[in-house]
Amino acid sequence: MSNSAIEFKAKQIPDTLSKLGLIILAIGVVLGILAFYTDHSRALFNYLIAFMFLLSVGVGSIFLISLEYITGAVWSVPFRRIVEFLASVTILLFILVIPLLLNMHDLFHWTHTEAVAGDEILKGKSPYLNTSFFIIRVLAGLVIWAFFYFAFTRNSKKQDLSQDQHLTTKNIRLSAVFIPIFAITITVSAVDWLMSLEPHWFSTIFGIYFFSGTVLAALAAATLIVVLLKEKGFLHPKIIDDHLYSFGALMFAFINFWGYIAFSQYMLIWYANLPEENFWFLHRWEGGWIVVSILLIIIHFVVPYSALLSQPAKIDPKRLKFASIWIMFAHLFDLYWLIMPNLESEHGYSFSSIDLVFPVSVVGILILVFNYNAKKYNLLPLGDPKLERGLNFRL
Amino acid sequence: MKIDYKIEPPVVEGRLSLSQIEELVAKPLETRPDKKFFIAIGISGTALLIGIICVAITLHYGIGMWGNNQPVGWGFGIVNFVFWVGIGHAGTLISAILFLLRQKWRTGIARFAEAMTIFAVICAGLFPILHTGRPWLGGYLFPYPNQHGLWINFTSPLIWDVFAVSTYFTVSLVFWYIGLIPDFASLRERTASKVKKIIYSIFSLGWRHSNRNWLHYEKAYLLLAGFATPLVLSVHTIVSFDFAVSIMPGWHTTIFPPYFVAGAIFSGFAMVVTVLIFVRKIFNLEHIITLNHFDKMNKVIMATGMMVGYAYAMEFFIAWYSGNPFEQFVIINRAFGPYAWAYWIMVTCNVVFPQLFWIKKFRRSIPVMLAIAILVNVGMWFERFVITVTSLHRDYLPSSWGYFTPTLYDIGILVGSFGLFFTLVILFTKTLPVVSISEVKAVAGGAQPSHHGGNH
Repeated sequence: MSNSAIEFKAKQIPDTLSKLGLIILAIGVVLGILAFYTDHSRALFNYLIAFMFLLSVGVGSIFLISLEYITGAVWSVPFRRIVEFLASVTILLFILVIPLLLNMHDLFHWTHTEAVAGDEILKGKSPYLNTSFFIIRVLAGLVIWAFFYFAFTRNSKKQDLSQDQHLTTKNIRLSAVFIPIFAITITVSAVDWLMSLEPHWFSTIFGIYFFSGTVLAALAAATLIVVLLKEKGFLHPKIIDDHLYSFGALMFAFINFWGYIAFSQYMLIWYANLPEENFWFLHRWEGGWIVVSILLIIIHFVVPYSALLSQPAKIDPKRLKFASIWIMFAHLFDLYWLIMPNLESEHGYSFSSIDLVFPVSVVGILILVFNYNAKKYNLLPLGDPKLERGLNFRL
Repeated sequence: MKIDYKIEPPVVEGRLSLSQIEELVAKPLETRPDKKFFIAIGISGTALLIGIICVAITLHYGIGMWGNNQPVGWGFGIVNFVFWVGIGHAGTLISAILFLLRQKWRTGIARFAEAMTIFAVICAGLFPILHTGRPWLGGYLFPYPNQHGLWINFTSPLIWDVFAVSTYFTVSLVFWYIGLIPDFASLRERTASKVKKIIYSIFSLGWRHSNRNWLHYEKAYLLLAGFATPLVLSVHTIVSFDFAVSIMPGWHTTIFPPYFVAGAIFSGFAMVVTVLIFVRKIFNLEHIITLNHFDKMNKVIMATGMMVGYAYAMEFFIAWYSGNPFEQFVIINRAFGPYAWAYWIMVTCNVVFPQLFWIKKFRRSIPVMLAIAILVNVGMWFERFVITVTSLHRDYLPSSWGYFTPTLYDIGILVGSFGLFFTLVILFTKTLPVVSISEVKAVAGGAQPSHHGGNH
């Protein structure tokens, strides 16, 4: 069999990329440390935003890998490596989670034993919301994700040499197991890290809400890398607009999905107007928060929706670059909207330059993670039996 | 079984030629109905008649003939409505969403599923109209200025239902019809009967199979798919709002919209599988509606079944987590109260049995999938029963607690709705092509140009 994919020689990733990543990360870390010295609790909440963003990209990428296998998709095969690279962020979470676990007392109201003792509802939740069980859940989630990350990518990389079709079957089976587990772990993460920041509040849709953002962040990160690589000529020449279209269409679909879930949650709580739930939204409507809340609708829905609506927009590399960067920003903004109102401040919303610090390190980390993997592994899954079909993909 | 991932599995099996496909699909329309047809329509017609009698008695004496009581003001009327709207979700999902996801296998089943959508929505529409007690005043559901000064209550989700369901029905019908136009033209060319030729000519809108025709057709189809996709989600979302905007424990929970949509797709696919098993056998369509189709549909059933299971689990967890004693009571009462039997039927049928589809053999075995699909339909009917009745029968005041038992008329109308549905389905199989001839031809072997470097 003539396999033009294998004959293709990939260009080397330039060394400047790692330098760029290191410089950005160094700036981010220095600024981050300064932020912790200036305002410890604000910096901590911002750190949580950055952590959740990386969790979204990492775990969302594992989900995208499993989605490709379980649906038998071919168009995405030439890009699966890029998603695999992003998924390795999951491993970094083991280190990044440590500052959060050490400072739980400043993040979570329910860790204050004296507050729980005087609060019937929090007392009722304490079998779930207690420090040791929380840590067990967090670590269990990280271990599960890491296991699936290694399992998927190990099979995928082994296939580069062996071209063994059975490895694809193995990964399909893994995906079938992973997806239900993913649904549970991502829901638990959403409840633990985000919902329990306001321990009195509850919403059954919340796990799905976070899931929609997770997939968006992972998808946007992958799209950005794909478009940049394609522009610089690192990708296989057979990759054409038809492939890009799928990225644009999927981002568009998930933007709508996020809008649908966010609207459902808001609508039902607004309509029923029960004080035990509506206070969460009312808090985000007080003082300056009203501006942030309205901006969320524009940033997370109106702008990307309009940017990706038309068919030509979904294949335009410039538009896709804009949309993917914007969507990553929107997910950060969404996390900001979810997390920051729980920082106790007396006078509603106030902006601080600390809020801008942590995303810098996120960019640095993502560049370095990509660079590290891209130097080490093939950019194309050369042994994947679906690769040929993926490269020849037409709409 | 060894799978070669390098080649695309064929959608149409048995290496049928394009003309064979047309022959196969058009055959039921060109032959006289046989004995089996009359037996089938006899059974469904009888069920329909039972329903008509029960409806007539209800209209004569009033809604008091039903089992609805205080506190269970919503009984079978709403349960059946939600059930049938749910069944109506698979068709447009298959034709619109799977189209946008470029799933070629949808072509073999899309036509039939769309028809079922339309019939199911017709069945669904009957129940709220009857439940109003005075169906002849239904015209006031449309907002038009009248001398009585009557105006609809726009803040009520029940009126949103009227608009959502009627929009969904209209768009599904148009979508279905657009897909039928090329087939009407093919039938027009084939038929020898003068009357049929006139009818087919009218409905084919002067279709000439020309390049320009196809260009317009494909654009229209894509646009309609785009319109229909949000509608699939919106209809059951709004149905879920009927419950969830209220402040009833057990009804008011934020997961309801996506949960209802997943449940609707779940039950809709189960119904499509149930009916297609028979259609495929009776009309010898084994090469067009293959075991691969069922395999994929069963996977969708399993996936949506687990989504529904996720929603049950979330409801349980958050009811506990919320710390709200009323929420907790409703959930405990559902699982262990007087309606525990209904709850556990629901859980086993919707969550436990579909797990059998993990095994490939079961996904590809006709008797197993028929059994599971029917159980899923039972389970999804009970889900609506559980949501509606168990939340209502024990409210805040223990002195006003009650128990709902359906009357013969409730059951008769439910039977009648099945009769109506199947009568329409059976008539459809003899009047219109049950599989889209043009779409299946487009995915048959050799219809697509192969690209450079491909190993086709």
